[in-house]
Amino acid sequence: MAPEVFNLAQTPITCHSFSADHKQVAVSLNSTDAQIFTRQGASWTLTETLAEHDKLITSIDWAPNSNRIVTASQDRNAYVWQQTPDPETGKLIWKPTLVLLRINRAATHVRWSPKEDKFAVASGARAIAICSFDPENNWWVSKLLKKPIRSTVLSVDWHPNNVLLAAGSADMKARVFSAYIKEVDDKPAATVWGSKLPFNTICGEYASPAGGWVHAVGFSPSGDALAFASHDSSISIVYPGGPTIYNIRISSLPFVTLTWTAEDTIVAAGHDCQPVVFSGSEAGWQGVGSLDDSTSGKAAGGARSGFGGASSVGRLNSAAFSTFRDADTRGQSGAGATTDTKVLTVHQNTITSVRPYEYRGGRVTKVSTSGVDGNLVIWDADDVSAGAGLAKQMGGMRM
Amino acid sequence: MDNAFRKIDIDAYDEDVLQEEELFDADPRDPAQVLDDAKQRQGAVRSALARSDVVGALNTVLENAPYGPNVEEAKAVTLQTLLTILNTTKSTEIPAVIKALSQDGQDTLMKYLYKGMAMPGWGDISGSVLLGWHEKLTEVAGTGCIVRTMTDRRTV
Repeated sequence: MAPEVFNLAQTPITCHSFSADHKQVAVSLNSTDAQIFTRQGASWTLTETLAEHDKLITSIDWAPNSNRIVTASQDRNAYVWQQTPDPETGKLIWKPTLVLLRINRAATHVRWSPKEDKFAVASGARAIAICSFDPENNWWVSKLLKKPIRSTVLSVDWHPNNVLLAAGSADMKARVFSAYIKEVDDKPAATVWGSKLPFNTICGEYASPAGGWVHAVGFSPSGDALAFASHDSSISIVYPGGPTIYNIRISSLPFVTLTWTAEDTIVAAGHDCQPVVFSGSEAGWQGVGSLDDSTSGKAAGGARSGFGGASSVGRLNSAAFSTFRDADTRGQSGAGATTDTKVLTVHQNTITSVRPYEYRGGRVTKVSTSGVDGNLVIWDADDVSAGAGLAKQMGGMRM
Repeated sequence: MDNAFRKIDIDAYDEDVLQEEELFDADPRDPAQVLDDAKQRQGAVRSALARSDVVGALNTVLENAPYGPNVEEAKAVTLQTLLTILNTTKSTEIPAVIKALSQDGQDTLMKYLYKGMAMPGWGDISGSVLLGWHEKLTEVAGTGCIVRTMTDRRTV
């Protein structure tokens, strides 16, 4: 099935998060506001604007069960938004509650825990704020995970047990922490990551192989494996038992976001503008292809075949590139040459976020992506095409 | 408007600042030993080239290449050895040679190509040879290989 493509804006979409029923989506259009779009047939209309932050919003997460939205921003604040009836009109409005994060740098990423009683805010202050609700004072309080983070934390992801937290950081490490809060959590059962888990226990620390910032982290659905994507154009999958680490170096530009769709499948996306699928198990991992079938349905493809053999060099195979190449090698310019400046992928620029969209039978069957091109795309997660020149470059390597 | 404050090195006031050497694992070998190794490899490479075994010669140089601080001389020797190989390989052989390298080897080779291009006129660096290798290496290993060269703090 072809992916559903929606153009929400002419500005980058920093992040997106769907409501539980998928009828609404909260996005940040690279601004200080979070905007809620509501689906009307085949299009999305802006229905609500959540304006409270005074710097760029970096991350949004919509809790599916408690229907609360949390937003994190460069203004060092986070707000929890809850729908409450307006005292005068009785109409439902989104009411913000400030969270006391106690960080002195931007908040970069936020995620609700699976039980939705806590959330984690990554920040540039070399810390992760674990926030939980204090009913006595009616506000959200935070506890900071600090050691041994040496630089900005770029992403966080919760383990299904509601206690462990993975974090990827600009000090080139992915870590697994315990974010156990006495007042909120029951004593967690032992996992492959450890059995004694007081707050700020480090259950694992893994470096990116060629020194890239760790942009994205994700626990597998069972929580027994961790994947992280780093800026050295590689993705690593960690099984803590061994510990076994599979590192796959890719031949294209780095990924900045990833999500597991099943215990044996990961979808990652980033600067290469297309969601790439990896599959494997504890015995090994490899790239299997792309969700973006960049060869079909693009009639202009034939005209670009002149670049032919070198098509594996990613996005160089674009019309803009061939325009300049024709001007250089054949003296052709303007007229005659194609004026099409589209790249061959569905997303026309970096993908900023990939998230699970639809579950069926314990698997994620659809994923959603948002990009710098202002597009929101919903992909069929099983519709994998072996992208040209992609699979052959990606053999799993055991470390 | 006064903007001198923008030039203040705020890291100097931060006792917990991230230092350059914390960004990668240091080479466990002694600098003198690294230099020794580099010189020994020169001989091994020459004999491999005499047998016209380009892949073997490249693997010898690229494996455990010196990186990090305090090994500048070993780095120079290694670069010189590598240039001998690059300059003597026929351009038609290059793709096959590159495909025979491991991913590690390809990444390290890319680092040396960029190091060479950053030092025009040094030793017997030839820009056109380096660019020829760079083109072929990018075709095989992709842009990801260039990205790894840029991010890796273990500079050669």
